[in-house]
Amino acid sequence: MREILIQLAAAFFGSLGFAALFGMRRRYLLPAALGGLLAWGVYLLLAERTGVFAACLASAAFGVLYAEVLARLYKTPATLFLIPAVIPLVPGGALYYSMDSAVRGDLAMARVYGSQTLNTALAIAAGMSFALAIRELRTKR
Amino acid sequence: MAITREQEPVLLDGLLDMAALLLDAGAEISRVEDTISRLGRAYGAQRVEVFVITSIISLTMEFPGREAITETRRVRSDSSTDFYRVEKLNALSRRCCAAPLPPEELRDQVAAVAAGRKPFRSVLIGSILGSGAFTIFFGGTVWDALAAIVFGVLICLLQRYLGRTRINTVASNLLISMLIGLGVGGLTMLLPMLHMDMILIGDIMLLIPGMAMTNAVRNLLVGDTISGVVRLAESLVWAGALAGGFMAAMLLLDTLR
Repeated sequence: MREILIQLAAAFFGSLGFAALFGMRRRYLLPAALGGLLAWGVYLLLAERTGVFAACLASAAFGVLYAEVLARLYKTPATLFLIPAVIPLVPGGALYYSMDSAVRGDLAMARVYGSQTLNTALAIAAGMSFALAIRELRTKR
Repeated sequence: MAITREQEPVLLDGLLDMAALLLDAGAEISRVEDTISRLGRAYGAQRVEVFVITSIISLTMEFPGREAITETRRVRSDSSTDFYRVEKLNALSRRCCAAPLPPEELRDQVAAVAAGRKPFRSVLIGSILGSGAFTIFFGGTVWDALAAIVFGVLICLLQRYLGRTRINTVASNLLISMLIGLGVGGLTMLLPMLHMDMILIGDIMLLIPGMAMTNAVRNLLVGDTISGVVRLAESLVWAGALAGGFMAAMLLLDTLR
């Protein structure tokens, strides 16, 4: 439980950091950071039951919906809230360990971590596209 | 707003400036195309054809009873995501769609947005928060986070300095990641209580083209195939440069040990 809380808090501050890094206006910072926390919460809820790929996909789809709602609310482009929300999903750890394994000459592990990195990126993109497609169904040409 | 024949090039110029800025600040291809066609129609064009890929924008407008005119713009992007600009441009295009500004004024206002950037202070604070928080996130200790913050600030300063030179993204990623790898490796040799992997992961999050990669796949999946392929190739090369820099640093440290 303690570990989960630490992760959620870290996701919140990480997303806050990236929102600031990208030049987000101050009044949008907190909602953007909250998006990161909630998206990571969705991931944690699902990860054990559905596996990492589906959890990532669902979390990214959630990020899109969250961003769309806030974008309507604040009349801003949704990307502003989408990017900070999905930042905690970015597979920094897997990328590092794949490099590390490659340097140590452990090509088998490098491949495992490498494909994990790519799978996560694919899951994020697929989740986002899925949710965006639903949005586009509602808007007419 | 009625546009005279003489004003058409000015309008196209303003719209192309806006598109290039939006693209550079990290807006998606479809969003840029959508914004420009809406604006074009708001100015009374009966046909607006806009085509955007990562390095070029082509815009054709046809006003009733006149010949169509086309302009293209080569975009050299350093692809630094800048929400400040995205938001300003979005507000400008909304205002302009509701009540079109004279083309000269549109061009000036776009230039005014181009003159401003996200404040460096928020980039610095963001780097501190981001590197520290993600070190903890991936399982590092508080001490690891503090070390990651020190190097996060260094990354931020290096990027700012290198951003002013003509160095390309591949070379700068290679250089930065090598320096950071050497620094973190050296520090963890001196202070064995620190975890090199955790510190580096926290700092990698600042460097990783994760968003570029995700946007690339997204472009591919929504049908902007050319941009998707270009961006994907670009971000894979950037990530490769990052990995190369870190690997070089680790190999160097291994020989020293």
